[in-house]
Amino acid sequence: MSRTPLPYNPKILELFRNPKNLGKMEDATVTAVAGNPLCGDMIVFYLKINSKDVIKNASFESFGCAANIATSSIVTEMIKGMKLENAWKISWKSVVEAVGGLPSVKFHCGILAVGALKRAIRTYYKNKGVSPDWLTKEPTFEEKQALEEEELAKILSKRMKAEEEK
Amino acid sequence: MLDPHRIREDFPIFKRKINNYPLIYFDNAATTQKPKQVIDAIKDFYENHNANVHRAVYTLSQESSELYENAHEEVAKFINADGMEEIIFVRGTTEAINLVAYAWGLHSLESENEVLVTLTEHHSNIVPWENLSKISRFQVKYADVNNDGTLNYESFENAISHKTKIVCLPHVSNVTGVINDVKRVAEIAHDYGSLILVDAAQSVPHLRVDVKDLDVDLLAFSGHKMLGPTGIGALYGKREILEEMEPFHGGGSMIKEVTFNTMTKRCSISLNDLPWKFEGGTPNICGGVGLMAAVKYLKDVGMENVKEHEKILTEYALRRMQEHEKIMIYGPKDASLKCGILPFNVEGLSSHDVALFLDSYGIMIRSGFHCAQPLHEMFKLKSTARASFYIYNTREEIDRFVTLLKEIE
Repeated sequence: MSRTPLPYNPKILELFRNPKNLGKMEDATVTAVAGNPLCGDMIVFYLKINSKDVIKNASFESFGCAANIATSSIVTEMIKGMKLENAWKISWKSVVEAVGGLPSVKFHCGILAVGALKRAIRTYYKNKGVSPDWLTKEPTFEEKQALEEEELAKILSKRMKAEEEK
Repeated sequence: MLDPHRIREDFPIFKRKINNYPLIYFDNAATTQKPKQVIDAIKDFYENHNANVHRAVYTLSQESSELYENAHEEVAKFINADGMEEIIFVRGTTEAINLVAYAWGLHSLESENEVLVTLTEHHSNIVPWENLSKISRFQVKYADVNNDGTLNYESFENAISHKTKIVCLPHVSNVTGVINDVKRVAEIAHDYGSLILVDAAQSVPHLRVDVKDLDVDLLAFSGHKMLGPTGIGALYGKREILEEMEPFHGGGSMIKEVTFNTMTKRCSISLNDLPWKFEGGTPNICGGVGLMAAVKYLKDVGMENVKEHEKILTEYALRRMQEHEKIMIYGPKDASLKCGILPFNVEGLSSHDVALFLDSYGIMIRSGFHCAQPLHEMFKLKSTARASFYIYNTREEIDRFVTLLKEIE
């Protein structure tokens, strides 16, 4: 039987088939979930952060499409060894560039990956009770996308739970 | 039997190529393509008859008013309603359901009442009731669906009570295509003194719907899912129910007379006759004209033929897709239980990737949650791909679709 590839560039297909840093991290310093229940894409980011605010390890779990897996994989690669301040500066556009481009209908996958990263960083400082001056008070564009979506998921699962209990 | 190859000639869009491939349109549950008869009716209206309705004595306004009224009559006949008084034109199914929630529910539901909806429901049928319950404090109860997407009649009968004031269910699920036994549900609802509101967005385009035979109180559908333009749909209601309902949008057309009392400094309003009482403001006249052309087109094809054609396509698609072990199909596999909607997944792939892949070969299918999230959560699925058929789809298109699905990597 002949085989026809998915309409992604080779780099995305490679990352989709052989993702880096896939799986749960038991000793993570911080975890962040970002989901879009409308398209079904959902990711969990795990970061291991040392006392100097450097990301020592990063991994992810994904319940999404190839673009979602590829962008999450590349973000976890990019941030390993990075200071949180520098990781914070990663934009979704640079992630799309790093995977060699995405179809425009898949841009939201890159946004979701960066949103998960930024939410993890924000949560880390919130837990620590510290607020560095580079950390914006207002949520960033990417966080907003992930936040709203996660809240939507919460609302839906709450409603389902209420029904199950009846 | 209808000939889809002949029908396709009426649809200009099928001349298009997508990514250099012939267009295969399998997202008919979302919206349908338009035949030239509908496009021409819209063009003819704006080129020859355009004027506002119910307002003026001049020729054009008389013509547009007559066309707009005839559109109501045609739609009424199509679903066997008692004349245009029972047909309210709205933007679509969503607006129709909101109309019922606010024009009826806001005035009739109190904290001890219940609204019963099913989990097969499209968002549009859940959200207005959940929203309204925050104001009126009534309970929204959910009846279960079985694993195959069919309504669980036992759960439904357990959930209904004398507190239930309205039962809302889809005639055909937009996720699985399962046809619900609306007649049976209506009978039970009426036994408890409840009204029944049917979301018929996926049934009126595909089956012969007879509101008298089903004995439903209220029924909503959208024009754009049945060859008509977007922005027009209809709410059917039994005349005595509509007469008792309060108006929805206040404005022009929905009032007969406004008189100002100089003593109280207040206006008193007398409402217009049905259906205009619910059509405040200048309506979507051209949309009505387009919908009338769509109804005429479907009548000429014959709704029995529409149903039969979709059944043949669905049976064929089910058989071909099941030949391949990597394709998982959800919902009943018996084509006689459903309309032409097929939810599926390809093992190891996100539904979005399947849709993106097929698009690169000119095939349009839907991926994701299809606006009926609760049902998906019941199925414990992340998301599904969905192919849905209509009168212009062919076996050859299904062959190409299945062949490509087998080759996907």
